[in-house]
Amino acid sequence: MIRLDNVSKLYQPNIKALDHVSLTIKPGEFVSLVGQSGTGKTTLVRCLIGEEKPSEGKILIGDWDITDIGKSEIPYLRRQVAVIFQDFKLLPKKTLAENVAFALEVAGKSGAKIKSVVPEVMKIVGLGSKMKRYPNQVSGGEQQRAAIARALVYQPKVLLADEPTGNLDSINAQEIIDLLLKINEFGTTVLLVTHNREIVNRLKRRVITLHDGRLISDQAVGKYII
Amino acid sequence: MLISLGRALKFSFQDIARNIWLSFVTVIILVLALFSVNLLIAVQVISSAAVDTVRDKIDISLYLRTEAAESDILALRGKIAALPNVREVTYISKQQALADFQKKHENNPDVIGALRELDTNPLSPSLAIHPQDPNKYDELINDLNHISDPIIEARNFDDHKLLLQKIDTITSRISEAGFLVSLLFVLITLLFLYNTIRVAIYTHRQEIAIMRLVGASSWFIRAPFLISSVLYTLIGVIITTGLFYLFLSLLQPYLETFFLNYDFNIVSYFRANFVYLLLIEFFGTAIVNILASLVAVRKYSNI
Repeated sequence: MIRLDNVSKLYQPNIKALDHVSLTIKPGEFVSLVGQSGTGKTTLVRCLIGEEKPSEGKILIGDWDITDIGKSEIPYLRRQVAVIFQDFKLLPKKTLAENVAFALEVAGKSGAKIKSVVPEVMKIVGLGSKMKRYPNQVSGGEQQRAAIARALVYQPKVLLADEPTGNLDSINAQEIIDLLLKINEFGTTVLLVTHNREIVNRLKRRVITLHDGRLISDQAVGKYII
Repeated sequence: MLISLGRALKFSFQDIARNIWLSFVTVIILVLALFSVNLLIAVQVISSAAVDTVRDKIDISLYLRTEAAESDILALRGKIAALPNVREVTYISKQQALADFQKKHENNPDVIGALRELDTNPLSPSLAIHPQDPNKYDELINDLNHISDPIIEARNFDDHKLLLQKIDTITSRISEAGFLVSLLFVLITLLFLYNTIRVAIYTHRQEIAIMRLVGASSWFIRAPFLISSVLYTLIGVIITTGLFYLFLSLLQPYLETFFLNYDFNIVSYFRANFVYLLLIEFFGTAIVNILASLVAVRKYSNI
């Protein structure tokens, strides 16, 4: 599903964010990407969504070589590789449902399609009863759920979760991880970027560890080792 | 495609509404620029009509000797009438000249009294020559200068030439000044619109970032801002047209006294060319505004 061949990313003047990283993630896998702050995790996510281009190496999503992806192709990539962030990135003046609908609106989907998809996906993330609430009227966990719902509307093949629990307490964080596991069960490949030791150890799934931009460990059933 | 266009239009209206004061000032600046351009057009129309009117009034007078025989005068009149650029040659006899003079000065008892004192008719007969094409005035004067006849007493050419030159100079100066003022307003508008779009993009930076995140195309992100600039243009052109029509309606009575006995109506002129002027102004301004917006959008929307 995701393949990185010898990927390096250099920033001027001489900072190596990623250093010859090679890895393969199969369809339907749930993978945790761990490492300390500034170790290249977010750079890797940015490369996977076409926000950054690698200085060296090759990135493939399925059969699609996105190493040198053009600007006009990025919107199509973002519909296949969805991403959620620590800060939710919701529009404060829109309700949760409107935030989810917004993703479909900008893709030119019809009003009828939006009306049918949004409640369905809101129900999946457990926000069926809070669709008309505004982001500031719900908890951080619920905001992250709305962000996940928005990421799911295109039924992406891959979901990248960049520190999704960073702003949440442990209960809400666990609920989000459970939701990601549920999405993974539906067949979506999930790449969880985190430095939360507890969560990673409890998951008992594949763990990839980055250190100073290099891949130092890849365990099938791993633990947080740094 | 239609759905996306509809949504881009919706986002554009939201953008205008959220920055209502900035939108208002942008439209005002646009109206000032368009008003100055319209004023320039009106000045050119009025001055060209004024020049035509004055040219139409101008005739070239050839003063003849008082003792000239009627037959010689008529022969000379025939000779001049045969020149290529002559529309009409009117013979004004001594008696006619006297009658015209008395009528012209009937309210001036000093002049009439002085004339009566003379006891004779001091005026000369003359030939009033009307040119076919007022623009070929110089050529006609040249032709008349080549006619030599002993009954010609004086040729009165230079005064008219000077008058026409003065009118032309004033017209071109007004046009130049109008052009510079219009250019200044157009430049201010461009800068202002560029800034308006920049502020609009700044206001929407969070929305734009999320649009990119969830897979909106660049076209979809940029379209609302371009639509906004077209909407500003449309509103600006409509307001300017209304205001300018009102302005011309107020101006027309003053113009009527200036163009007395002449069929000139600036309001009718604008009414007759309304669609043409509206379309030219709208498309001209829209193209310029879209170009300015495109530069702003390309520069600032990559948030």
